Amino acid sequence: MLGLGEDRLRADMNRLLTLLFHQGVLDEQFLQLQQLQDETSPNFIFEVVNIYFNESEKLLRNLRDLLLDREFSDYQRMGVHLNQLIGSSSSIGAKRVSNVCVAFRAASEQNSRPGCLRALEVLEHEYCYLKNRLDEVFHVSKSSN
Amino acid sequence: MNCSWRVTTCSQATVALNLLRERKGCFDVVLSDVHMPDMDGFKLLELVGLEMDLPVIMMSADGRTSVVMMGIRHGACDYLIKPIREEELKNIWQHVVRKRWHENKEHEHSGSLDDNDRNKRGNDDAEYASSANEGTEGILRTQKKKRDMKEEEDGELENDDPSASKKPRVVWSVELHQQFVSAVNQLGIDSMNFSLNVAWLLSWLLDPFLTLSFWSSSSEAVPKRILELMNVPGLTRENVASHLQKFRLYLKRLSGVAQQQGGIPTSFCGSVEQNPKLGPLGIFDIQALAASGQIPPQTLAALHAELLGRPTGNLVLPAMDQPALLQASLQGSKCISVDHGVAYGQPPMKCSTNIPKQFPHQILSTEDVHSGFGSWTSHSLCTLGAGNNPSMLGAQNGNMLVGMLQNQQRQQQQQHQQKPSMLTEHSHSINVQPSCLVVPSQSSASFQAGNSPGLVNPNGNFSRSSVIDYSIPVPQSNNSSFVVGQLSNGDLKTTGVLNRYSGPNSISPSVSSSSVNADNNAGQKAHNLTTAFTAGIQLPGLVPNATEYQGSSNGKSTQVLDQGPLRNLGFVGKGTSIPSRFAVDEPDEPESPIRNLNHPKFCVENCGKNVKEEPHLDYIENARVGTPILQHFSPNDLMSVFSE
Repeated sequence: MLGLGEDRLRADMNRLLTLLFHQGVLDEQFLQLQQLQDETSPNFIFEVVNIYFNESEKLLRNLRDLLLDREFSDYQRMGVHLNQLIGSSSSIGAKRVSNVCVAFRAASEQNSRPGCLRALEVLEHEYCYLKNRLDEVFHVSKSSN
Repeated sequence: MNCSWRVTTCSQATVALNLLRERKGCFDVVLSDVHMPDMDGFKLLELVGLEMDLPVIMMSADGRTSVVMMGIRHGACDYLIKPIREEELKNIWQHVVRKRWHENKEHEHSGSLDDNDRNKRGNDDAEYASSANEGTEGILRTQKKKRDMKEEEDGELENDDPSASKKPRVVWSVELHQQFVSAVNQLGIDSMNFSLNVAWLLSWLLDPFLTLSFWSSSSEAVPKRILELMNVPGLTRENVASHLQKFRLYLKRLSGVAQQQGGIPTSFCGSVEQNPKLGPLGIFDIQALAASGQIPPQTLAALHAELLGRPTGNLVLPAMDQPALLQASLQGSKCISVDHGVAYGQPPMKCSTNIPKQFPHQILSTEDVHSGFGSWTSHSLCTLGAGNNPSMLGAQNGNMLVGMLQNQQRQQQQQHQQKPSMLTEHSHSINVQPSCLVVPSQSSASFQAGNSPGLVNPNGNFSRSSVIDYSIPVPQSNNSSFVVGQLSNGDLKTTGVLNRYSGPNSISPSVSSSSVNADNNAGQKAHNLTTAFTAGIQLPGLVPNATEYQGSSNGKSTQVLDQGPLRNLGFVGKGTSIPSRFAVDEPDEPESPIRNLNHPKFCVENCGKNVKEEPHLDYIENARVGTPILQHFSPNDLMSVFSE
């Protein structure tokens, strides 16, 4: 019974992940991450993804604060944040998030505030979607363990 | 996936750099992020490449061609774009191996190399430096490597042990580097621009054996020519080429460091105005000269201040790198003792024997020495003089020198206005000090050791003076020669860095001597150097000597010879008599000084055997350096930037 349950949970998890892969939310980098997880670091993905979430939320908050500031002009700083986001997202395998960030960075390089605002919106949307899905995955994987 | 690498991670670049410096032999490759909170990745890249000669791999989410290009320009072995795939990481070993093999090849050809024991049996260390914000990646790498480490037995391909085919690589020992530098000096660094000039100056100040003789360039400092000049068996052109490249980066970095040190140009200029006439040519004069020169006044000021230990409150000096300055002051200390003996050619100069004791004040404490010159306070390092007047020796020198200096100041001021500072802007403050700069730390000790006995000889002969190498630059406006003093001490030989002299009677003929020629095309640079050197180095007596010497066609050189032992530009080692470098008899050719240097009278005494450690310790004691970085200093560190 337990075994079946575990398998089912695992199947659910895989299904979720497969869906995310199909949607392009995750890419093969995530698979590489998965491969790093083994007996010696059983919660590797979980830890890494959590770190990613924490850092990204900070960055997103910074970006939002920067953009929504009336006198915003520091595109450079925004670019720095974006670089970080791009790097971490792509290393996680969060493909869509990192794509949006790239577009965001392009807009910021053009110093286009409306472009940046739009990009920020999309970014936050993508990020939330990713977070929810991954939380789900982990929840499932946790309960199966 | 099983790479069996030992990984050390740091989330701060400064921490990483310190780690690298502390454990130089422990790492094989460095992986670093480009954008980091505390330091620019490229800066770290440069520093690591220069100081430790490790392959550095950059990584970033920023894959723009321009940024990648920058990485290449700064010397990165590779540039990984995030997300980094595992295969890319697995391939890092190739950079380690490549470097080793190149070094082995170089070593095969080179003759005098230490066996760099980098054998790591089966474990390569990779150090990761990533920003705090890149925690994800950092941990990713860490984890990956950690788990890889667990599977050492698998003996994967990545576990390739370069040490298997390891041979000693070209180690740029101090001697070798000195030869390199002198060769380069003879040829002149091509593509000299202002920032490089300054960098030269700084490097010179920090390393007295780096004589600078831009003006003497008759041919370009290309590796081939350098190789020829160095004449080291077994050294290949490639060795020289790569070393030259590193050296250039190093200089650039120095100029960048200088640039960072804030500025008080106005204060300098102000002091210049205030001292129209050379009274005691003290710090202010030096500053004036510095200010009037093209070297960033703040840099010189900082150096000077540090050298002098900020004796006066008048000096508003930016806080320069303590270590660097200390080093510079070490140089200064060396010079000072020499000056005492040399420059003034005056018989019993009161050598301030307290120099060694108060390290920071060494330069300052030469007031008494200039009895003959009255207004001159001897400041060591180098005398820069736009000496028009050959006959500056003796008591007259003081006035003449003053005049000369003023002249020079004026010239330099003009030049200064013409040429805006060209130091490039550095937006990042360098946290990491060039602690590995070559520093003749032992010099101070040696000075201490040989201070009283040798410096001043009643008859003006230096029995145990430091080697001074003065090359005289020729300012444009007048044909005076430019003297760039270089102080080397017999003791310094022990340090290795400054150890130019391989034997008792051998004087490395390069550098200074060759610089003595009236090459006007170097005038501009000469000015730079002149002022640069003047800062903190005043050696009034030398200027005139230089001039006369240079001519070698005028008969005044005899005068030089008679008077001060070290007055001239020669390498005077401890225990050597004055270099008859300026022997008048020399035929009129650029190499004449060199020949003089090799005068048998020279006997570079290796007094430093016993002080290898002492000087360093003394130095530290006297240094009164407040910066913690000093603690990182070690004789090895101080030895050479470029040697392993």
